[in-house]
Amino acid sequence: MSEADAIRLAQAGDAAAFEFLYRLHGRRVYALCLRMVGNPSDAEDLMQEAFLQLFRKIGTFRGESAFSTWLHRMTVNVVLMRLRKKTLPVASLEETTEPDEETGGPRKDIGAPDLKLTGAVDRVNLERSIEKLPPGYRTVFVLHDVQGYEHNEIADIMGCSVGNSKSQLHKARTRLRDLLQEEVREQARNERQIAKTQTGQTG
Amino acid sequence: MQCRELEVFFEEEGLAPLSAAARQHLSECHACKHFFEDVTGIVALAHQLPAELDPPEHIWISIRNELVREGTIRGLSGDRVPWWQSFAELFRNRSLATAAVAMVMIMVAFLLGSQPRDQMRQGQQAQEDPYASTVTALRQQEHDLANMQLASTGENSAVDASLRQNLEQVNEFIADCERRVREEPSDELAREYLTNAYQQKAQLLSAMMDRGGSLN
Repeated sequence: MSEADAIRLAQAGDAAAFEFLYRLHGRRVYALCLRMVGNPSDAEDLMQEAFLQLFRKIGTFRGESAFSTWLHRMTVNVVLMRLRKKTLPVASLEETTEPDEETGGPRKDIGAPDLKLTGAVDRVNLERSIEKLPPGYRTVFVLHDVQGYEHNEIADIMGCSVGNSKSQLHKARTRLRDLLQEEVREQARNERQIAKTQTGQTG
Repeated sequence: MQCRELEVFFEEEGLAPLSAAARQHLSECHACKHFFEDVTGIVALAHQLPAELDPPEHIWISIRNELVREGTIRGLSGDRVPWWQSFAELFRNRSLATAAVAMVMIMVAFLLGSQPRDQMRQGQQAQEDPYASTVTALRQQEHDLANMQLASTGENSAVDASLRQNLEQVNEFIADCERRVREEPSDELAREYLTNAYQQKAQLLSAMMDRGGSLN
């Protein structure tokens, strides 16, 4: 069965067609939900909600965009609505500046002295830091750098412009770098503390 | 090119390909060079994260049951899929598991047949009710789950509600199959459905216990 056939049959209520579409797209949707909310229980709820919405509205799908784009748009909306209910304040997708934590002025992300990350970061650190990103940044980063969507697709999914998608991605990457640097510094501090404690014990 | 201009370049064009001006600046500015190397490394690591992950099977079961209930899913005739048929389709892909269970039951019957006379009465009882220990184990698991849910402080979610509904349906199905097996002990199809229903119930209970444990 092709995806187009499955969509047509699902629009007529065919059970096997629904399952085909679920199996075809479910793994990507689950990965997106899990990375967005960080825990399997919430991810399962959101995935179920997204697919139920999709299948209930499948009769309205006209093929103007790719089916996967339509599905991901629904998934992102479901996830962001849930996150907006749970957390505050949330960085909106339209936010263009992020205040510097010390001065309150615009953050200077480039040209400032910092800690080099190369070799100090692994996938676990990265996954943990992705969870700490504001939802808007997290969505764009996961869609682009993890799931491989292009900016025109992300713009379609998120209902924004291509320029906005690019801008948010850059901010997300910059913010991730900051989060990872904090984590590396924290690890180094812990290691120094442990070394001091051990020296104290043996000295 | 200044640092701020490089930032604008990264924002508008991404990390690659770099313009000549960007490359020139990176060769002169250590801070920007570190930034570029760090972010390039982060993106490379992100590419290694799996873009797809396997969801638990019970999600599809919950979605499907909900759509059947709503009437969104129909059979080929245009009618709603009957409740019995939906369970039959669930078991469609479990033929290997069914064959394995059948083999175990044949082996049990063989071992019971080769037992000494003084154990024949116990063996006979087991043959008459080969599901007794399964039913006892499932009952205990359901009891433990009920206790866990009573003590639970977590919120009830749509998935939890679906799982409970699935469990009710499986229990009704098991009751139907057990009645049929009592009435027609030679009905192999009913026995096969009953075996698979017990397996399905065990998996559901396990999934519900896992969720209850993670929420608490």
